[in-house]
Amino acid sequence: MSDNILEIKDLVVHFETDDGIVKAINGLNFNIRREKTLGLVGETGAGKTTTALSVLNLVPDPPGKIKSGTIMLDGKDVLHMTDKELEEMRGNDVAMIFQDPMTALNPVMTVGDQIAESIELHQHVSGKEAFEKAKEMLKMVGISESRAYDYPHQFSGGMRQRVVIAIALACEPKLLLADEPTTALDVTIQAQVLDMMKDLIVRRQMSMLLITHDLGVVADVCDDVAVMYAGRIVEIGTADEVFNATRHPYTEGLFDSLPNLKARGEELVPIKGLMPDPMNLPEGCTFYPRCPYATDACKAKEPQLYHMGGTHYVACTAYQDPNFRLRRNSNG
Amino acid sequence: MTKTTANAEQAVMTKESLKQFKGRSMAQETWRRLLKNKGAVIGMCFMILLIIVAILSQFIYNYEADIITMSAGSSAQAPTLQHIFGTDKYGRDIFARIIYGARYSLLIGAGSVFIGLAVGILLGSLAGFYGGFIDNLVMRANDILYAIPNIMIAVVVVSILGTSPASLLLSLSISAASAFARITRAAVMTIRGQEYVESAYAMGLPTWKVILRHIIPNCLSPIIVQVTLAIGNNIIAASSLSFLGVGIAPPMPEWGAMLSDGRQFIRSYPWMCIFPGLAIMVTVLALNLMGDGLRDALDPKMKK
Amino acid sequence: MAENEKKILLEVDHLTKYFTTPKGQLHAVDGVSFQLEEGKTLGIVGESGCGKSTTGRSVLKLIEPTAGKLIFDGEDITKYSKSKMRKLRTEMTMIFQDPFSSLDPRQSVMQLISEPIREHKLLRGNDAIEQRTLELMDTVGLARRFVNAYPHELDGGRRQRIGIARALAVNPKLVVCDEPVSALDVSIQAQILNLLKQLQKDIGLTYIFITHDLSVVKYFSDDIAVMYLGQMVEKASADELFANPMHPYTQALLSAIPIPVVGKDKPQRRLIRGEITSPVNLPDQCRFMKRCDACQECCKEGKNPELREVAPGHFVACHCVK
Repeated sequence: MSDNILEIKDLVVHFETDDGIVKAINGLNFNIRREKTLGLVGETGAGKTTTALSVLNLVPDPPGKIKSGTIMLDGKDVLHMTDKELEEMRGNDVAMIFQDPMTALNPVMTVGDQIAESIELHQHVSGKEAFEKAKEMLKMVGISESRAYDYPHQFSGGMRQRVVIAIALACEPKLLLADEPTTALDVTIQAQVLDMMKDLIVRRQMSMLLITHDLGVVADVCDDVAVMYAGRIVEIGTADEVFNATRHPYTEGLFDSLPNLKARGEELVPIKGLMPDPMNLPEGCTFYPRCPYATDACKAKEPQLYHMGGTHYVACTAYQDPNFRLRRNSNG
Repeated sequence: MTKTTANAEQAVMTKESLKQFKGRSMAQETWRRLLKNKGAVIGMCFMILLIIVAILSQFIYNYEADIITMSAGSSAQAPTLQHIFGTDKYGRDIFARIIYGARYSLLIGAGSVFIGLAVGILLGSLAGFYGGFIDNLVMRANDILYAIPNIMIAVVVVSILGTSPASLLLSLSISAASAFARITRAAVMTIRGQEYVESAYAMGLPTWKVILRHIIPNCLSPIIVQVTLAIGNNIIAASSLSFLGVGIAPPMPEWGAMLSDGRQFIRSYPWMCIFPGLAIMVTVLALNLMGDGLRDALDPKMKK
Repeated sequence: MAENEKKILLEVDHLTKYFTTPKGQLHAVDGVSFQLEEGKTLGIVGESGCGKSTTGRSVLKLIEPTAGKLIFDGEDITKYSKSKMRKLRTEMTMIFQDPFSSLDPRQSVMQLISEPIREHKLLRGNDAIEQRTLELMDTVGLARRFVNAYPHELDGGRRQRIGIARALAVNPKLVVCDEPVSALDVSIQAQILNLLKQLQKDIGLTYIFITHDLSVVKYFSDDIAVMYLGQMVEKASADELFANPMHPYTQALLSAIPIPVVGKDKPQRRLIRGEITSPVNLPDQCRFMKRCDACQECCKEGKNPELREVAPGHFVACHCVK
């Protein structure tokens, strides 16, 4: 058995719209280690959510098309599964949590029934057994069992996200895909939910892909970090490697944009410019037009992933020069 | 030194040189998307043709001589090259009557919708914007109207005012107004909560300007769609009323009235019914195709 | 006015806004008081439902306050009529949270930015107004080539720049910023924050900065007020508040911010239990009591704590802070 629960190789996903081809994912490579959490970081339009949907083979088609690549989930290729295998896989092996807990629940079913429904579907147990198990799941996510008979509108946002997590975990998936699970929540509630998720992942020996734009959340929860830009991984490694030995200029830019690391009154250093239009990506390195270190070499060729030691890889041509350092690192 | 990045991309430009940067407004976007919809384009072409023909018909035909004068000699002839849709029992050319009748159908259909539109938008936006008592008053009155079948309203209006195009127009606009009031109210209530409305208040705009400039223009999409569909509906309604004898009276060549005239001969001279029926069907179909096309083109989800 | 004298631009005294709901009185804002010096920034922080946005809107009288007193630039505006307030809209204005819904989709950038200028007849003649619009676009860093563009053609950051230009068009003294960056990506967030800060330096704007994101206010504000269920629970200068938070809620809020640090420097988390309760029909008790670890006997018996000055310039509403 491989050490990785998920291996994505050379994935290319395009959306073919009337106005042109949106290149959402362009040659994506990363693995998730067993029982580890990988944080996938990036800004709006980087292709994070499309990545998660690809793992479930749920990219809306049309207009989405998975052009090429392989997605190996626990040794099986997701992109070559039959519909029946896919149904088996979704929910059983992989579960997904979406950002908005308000729309993820069915308003006319009690939360107990909703959790039980997914247990019944995947584990072939009787309705009664499933409901008992649903109550257990509620307890596990910190909601009292008696609330199994309540409807979603009787819960607050944070509680609903807990219910969504309970549904996702009900079938003991091996891999959990969490797409911005706490973005819609208040900070104190976010802290509670993250804490609970962290705990459950360890207890249930699951792996997780945590999609977020918040580097703080990543630092709290993740073992590994992958930074995504314009449909590619630009930097990947353990959290320690990426946070404390940052290699890619874009990652550095993200850190510099954050106000909370700065002393008061200091000027923030934003990344100049905007995300490139995915219909019209720049030649060579896609970050080249915004990069403070850019040279002509960056424009010429799409950078490969350079090995920086350990599990740390970075897609930046500048590392052809062994003496290249980011400002962040050269100042100590 | 501290200027942000967007400043970098900005060379100072004069007013003249800025003319080259044309943005596309929502209306232009919509028009572009509408032209991509084949059904809507066909519907639109047909409607334009019909309107032109309807306008020209009074110059081509003489109402007295060609449209209402009976000629026993040519009664109930099957379609020929001379009378391509045949003639009716009084020997009148059905083609000429349909072309001429397009004016009545279109005028009554469109006219009743636009009268209803004006009244409906006014009442609906007041109800939606102010809520409370006004809303209750308008919407309960509306509910009462909804509870009475449109044909009943028409029969009542016609029996009070007498059979004439004007009373037909009035009776149809009552039901149109109630439909538009509903749609406008719903749209206004959604738009009222948008931040740009609040932003307009924060800028210091008085309420009437906020409604006129920011709320109503943004409610137009569902209303425009409804207008095309309602014109079709009202053409059918007008024809039905004429068919029942409470609409336009013979010998005026209204499509429904023609259908009604022909119905007793439907076995022996079917063209008397087929062609007016087809005229109604094709026109309403064209309007519905346009309406559906507009709905898709105006739907924000279709963007990007 | 003397150069050194600090001028109070806005004084808010026991501002209160109740909404009547079918379930009872909703205490959106409950006796909030503060003073704001010209050219300074007050950050109002809190979680959803704490009344921070209602406070911002009540200060501008976009929402009519239930009780309390508003003194703006030396004038008592509490009883100002709607038409009198409209004239004042050139002095106090607002930047909104959502750059997607706060701009009328049917107006071009030119129309959007020039609308307040035309409305208040600040300039006459189309040429002058267009010239001013272009200048405003330069000020907020929006390339002039977007002058005829429509909001749906622009990204969030650029839209927010339009919102800022609209607010600046009337030469205001006070700007209420309601979560101006929370809908934006981090790199764009930094661009907008820098812009707002630069504008304050250049034009001397006074800000009320409403946000749920403590890291943003720390960077941005001179004073910070923390709100919980319609009340201010703590208020101090930004440095003081971060160095020495006293209210248990502020402490929990500070510790809940996810900090992007990995390794041994990472501070420990302190979680608070429970969730914010509904602000309807509140008892006269400390509102944070049920979630508070420091809660003692005196809190259960005592009334709702008043905001007290416990150190110079540091106000806390808690029975347990001595």
